[in-house]
Amino acid sequence: MSGIRTGDDEKHLLTGATGFLGSHIMAGLLLKGKGVVIAGRPSAGVSLKERIRRLLGWFGIEHLEGLLEFYETDFLKVRLGLGEDEYELLRSRGLSIIHCASDTSFAEKNRERVMKTNVESLTEILNFALKSRTRCFHFISTAYAAGTDNIECPEAPVNSAHFTNVYEESKAHAELKVSKRCREGERQYTLIRPSIVYGDSGTGRSLRFNALYYPVRSLQQIRDIYLDDIKNNKGKKSAECGIYINDEGVLHLPVRIFIPNEGNINLIPVNYFTETILSIIEKPVTETCYHITSNNPENMWRLASYTERFLNITGIQIVIGTPGDGEMRNAPEELFDHFLKAYRPYISDKRIFSREHTDRATSGSLPPDFSYEIFRRCMSFAVSADWGKNLF
Amino acid sequence: MDDVLNTAKSCRHYAMCKIDFLGTGLCKSGAEKQYVSFYPQGRMDLYAALAENRIQVTEKIIEIAESCDLCGKCDYQCYFVTEMKPSVVMKALKEHVRLYLDKGGEVLAAETDSILYGLKEIVGDYWATGDRAVALTYSHDPCPVAKPRMPDYVIMPDSTAEISAVVTLLNRHKIPYAVRGNGSSVMGFVMSEGAVIDLGRMKTIGFDEKNWLVKVGPGVAAFDLQKASAARGFRVNVAEPSALVCANIMCSGIFSLFSASYGTAADNYIDAEFVGHDGEVFRLSEKSAPNLFAFRKEDSAVPGICTSAYIRLHPFTSDEGAAFVPFESLEGALDFARECAMRRIGLAIGVLGGEYMSAFLSPTKKLAAEVKDIFRDKLKIEYLVLVIGDKYALNSIKEMGYFYFDTRMIRILNLGLPSLISAKWLDLMEEFANEEPFSYLKLKHFPDLMEAALAPSPAQLVRDVDPELRPFFEKLYARPEMTDPVWLNMFRIISSRMGREKHVLAMIIYLPIDNILITEINSEFKRIADSYGLKNDYGFITPLDNGKRCVFEYDYYLDHNDPDERMKMQQAMMEAGMMIERYSAETGTVTWIRYVFSQGFSRKESFLYSVAGAE
Repeated sequence: MSGIRTGDDEKHLLTGATGFLGSHIMAGLLLKGKGVVIAGRPSAGVSLKERIRRLLGWFGIEHLEGLLEFYETDFLKVRLGLGEDEYELLRSRGLSIIHCASDTSFAEKNRERVMKTNVESLTEILNFALKSRTRCFHFISTAYAAGTDNIECPEAPVNSAHFTNVYEESKAHAELKVSKRCREGERQYTLIRPSIVYGDSGTGRSLRFNALYYPVRSLQQIRDIYLDDIKNNKGKKSAECGIYINDEGVLHLPVRIFIPNEGNINLIPVNYFTETILSIIEKPVTETCYHITSNNPENMWRLASYTERFLNITGIQIVIGTPGDGEMRNAPEELFDHFLKAYRPYISDKRIFSREHTDRATSGSLPPDFSYEIFRRCMSFAVSADWGKNLF
Repeated sequence: MDDVLNTAKSCRHYAMCKIDFLGTGLCKSGAEKQYVSFYPQGRMDLYAALAENRIQVTEKIIEIAESCDLCGKCDYQCYFVTEMKPSVVMKALKEHVRLYLDKGGEVLAAETDSILYGLKEIVGDYWATGDRAVALTYSHDPCPVAKPRMPDYVIMPDSTAEISAVVTLLNRHKIPYAVRGNGSSVMGFVMSEGAVIDLGRMKTIGFDEKNWLVKVGPGVAAFDLQKASAARGFRVNVAEPSALVCANIMCSGIFSLFSASYGTAADNYIDAEFVGHDGEVFRLSEKSAPNLFAFRKEDSAVPGICTSAYIRLHPFTSDEGAAFVPFESLEGALDFARECAMRRIGLAIGVLGGEYMSAFLSPTKKLAAEVKDIFRDKLKIEYLVLVIGDKYALNSIKEMGYFYFDTRMIRILNLGLPSLISAKWLDLMEEFANEEPFSYLKLKHFPDLMEAALAPSPAQLVRDVDPELRPFFEKLYARPEMTDPVWLNMFRIISSRMGREKHVLAMIIYLPIDNILITEINSEFKRIADSYGLKNDYGFITPLDNGKRCVFEYDYYLDHNDPDERMKMQQAMMEAGMMIERYSAETGTVTWIRYVFSQGFSRKESFLYSVAGAE
């Protein structure tokens, strides 16, 4: 496929291509021989083209660069920050659009920035979509835009007033905005809602190490602090926390993980996400939501046992309930609980995501069960990549 | 330039070898002979002058060289501040003189004249001299705008009466004179081609606890006064540890982080005694005394020689502690500092830059450079507000919703600094900082985790220190006060480390705590220094008068031995001065410290608020 130019009918304009999901969508399209028009920004002095080149190298598909076109854009600016002629030319091509760019911060302190990136910036990209002959506007959202009001989450417009964090809220607002503007402008659109995406289940490779990875990484680094203490400082601080190396040479790290209820964590591997989204955009059904989720979500007990096995530790205990004031019994437990705070709603989640539309689009293809082997593969890759520091 | 000469010429004249701030005891000959020439600082100057053939061997040089017993105390003291080891210079000086004498070199005898004779009559034979070697050690400082001036006479009086008589005699012979404190001045005020009066012998400290004051002689250094006061359960508001208290008030008025509650300028003293230009003695409390409380916005001459000051004593309580409140931006730090000052929370308040955590707390510049990046890049600490207060003040900060490093955490952080460099767990903090900055500080067990992760110990802190000095420094940092932020801020011994790499020149202004104004001026200071290629950094801001005003220090650095940098610094200082004058004219609320020089006895209100200056 190298160097083959495809017609505009086969091309997609993709935003967020430098992100985790966006880059996989880009790679998936390129491997299918589809041309991709990348719209995005330079970052930290690195041009958009260079950022994408690095990613192509990571995917091992540098030879497909010829299928790419680049537009440095700013979605908060008029005409996406493009010159008039350039904008008109791009608009006239009628590309289908996959809008994947977003700010994934959960923090309330970043509310303004998140709402600006995820909702406000939609105005210009939707203006562009409506003014052009776009075949379809695909909006990458999140399963959690469903909010917290209902356990049953259909593949339908958001019907919730309550959200876990500003990210979910912004995505819900964005979905409404996309639906409204596209309907008014008589443009086809889809809303695509993945749950929590981890690395490639086959290779373990990943570009991002938050969500599933963050707690494991936190525990690994907490573990290493106390292993150092035992090795270099006679384990004085470890003993104060009840931490020791047992007879089998395994570190006993007594950490309780508090979860509010007996829920699950809905995980899908990125390779499944990519396959699914490519199927959806192949034959999109307009005004349709697609849940790219697992019907067999994991529970924290199993993830804790996977983590213990992988990190060669014991002592992790899952506790249902909320810790009271002063209940944290030691420093690692308290620190880990603090690190986990932002993710807590997702590890004890009772929501059930229907996926009829997705099943129809994918002929019932489901994500693999999250076995220890997949977990080990993913975490081993993460460790070898120093949790993202040695990726490129 | 060889290493020994380079060390000799790198002395910053901070006079830290003239106070016993490490508990090693003072340089024996310096303590006995008193002239700066007999302290390591003077010997450094003398060796450099001899090595560069700028001076002949004199009778005093022989005495100075021979009186050094090479005890090595100066290595500890100087290494603590600048990482230099002056004992190589002390040895070289002795060797130079020995070889010179062995070769039968001529020794220059001090010339005498009737004026010197008269001075000796007043202060005693030993305490007035025209020896060129002694004069040389009083002839220059690292200030880039002051040219060296060799005095004809150096005089060390021991009483107000002697000072009065000396001034009268000098006046009679129309001999200009300068009064010297401990050796470093900002603008070369302490040099004269006539006479230099060194007040270093007048070290009396007399407590009057009933009146909450201490009478201080003009040769008393801040460190020694604080030490004497602390031993009696008091605190004084003093500046740099080696600065002489009376001279410091005279020059710019005393300001420190404690000025947030204790005030500055006239707030610090109750009375003072002077020898006027005419040689007459007066007390400030006398009705007929010159009005030194007033202030005029102009370059002023000193009102006389301050021969004693009656300094306010402040109580302190056993529950005092410190809070390092971290911030991602200057604006956030200013808002917090202003609020504390307005609410009268805390005794000492200072908005500090990243330099504080790194340069001040690190025993070596290598460690300072490494940890500075970590504080900024991993922990996202761009600025921090240091608050010292009692338990009620510290609890109030928590109630205000701020997270901070408390006294225990500061101690752990200090002794564990080297571990920060390789701490992988900081990556987690870095990522977490993006979501909820510094929230880890509110965790009850976080200090325990820090302790486990950083393995703080004196041995660890000094692991990069020169191996020869390491055992001493390991013992030093085992002393609780050396990592106690309250003690360190009272005695200020680590702030001298800001001049560790290069000599520092402080640009100081008084202005309102107006975020936009301060940010603008901060950027301007930086822009100007950058345009001349000079190292520069934000210094500190301390609220004054309950947060209505503040004192703001921005620091420029230079290699004082580099003529090119000296020239650039002169130009940068001039440009920065014009910038300050512009803001002063535009706002009516910005006062350059230049105008407070020599008016440090004035009421702070006189220079903080424009109504007084305008009249």
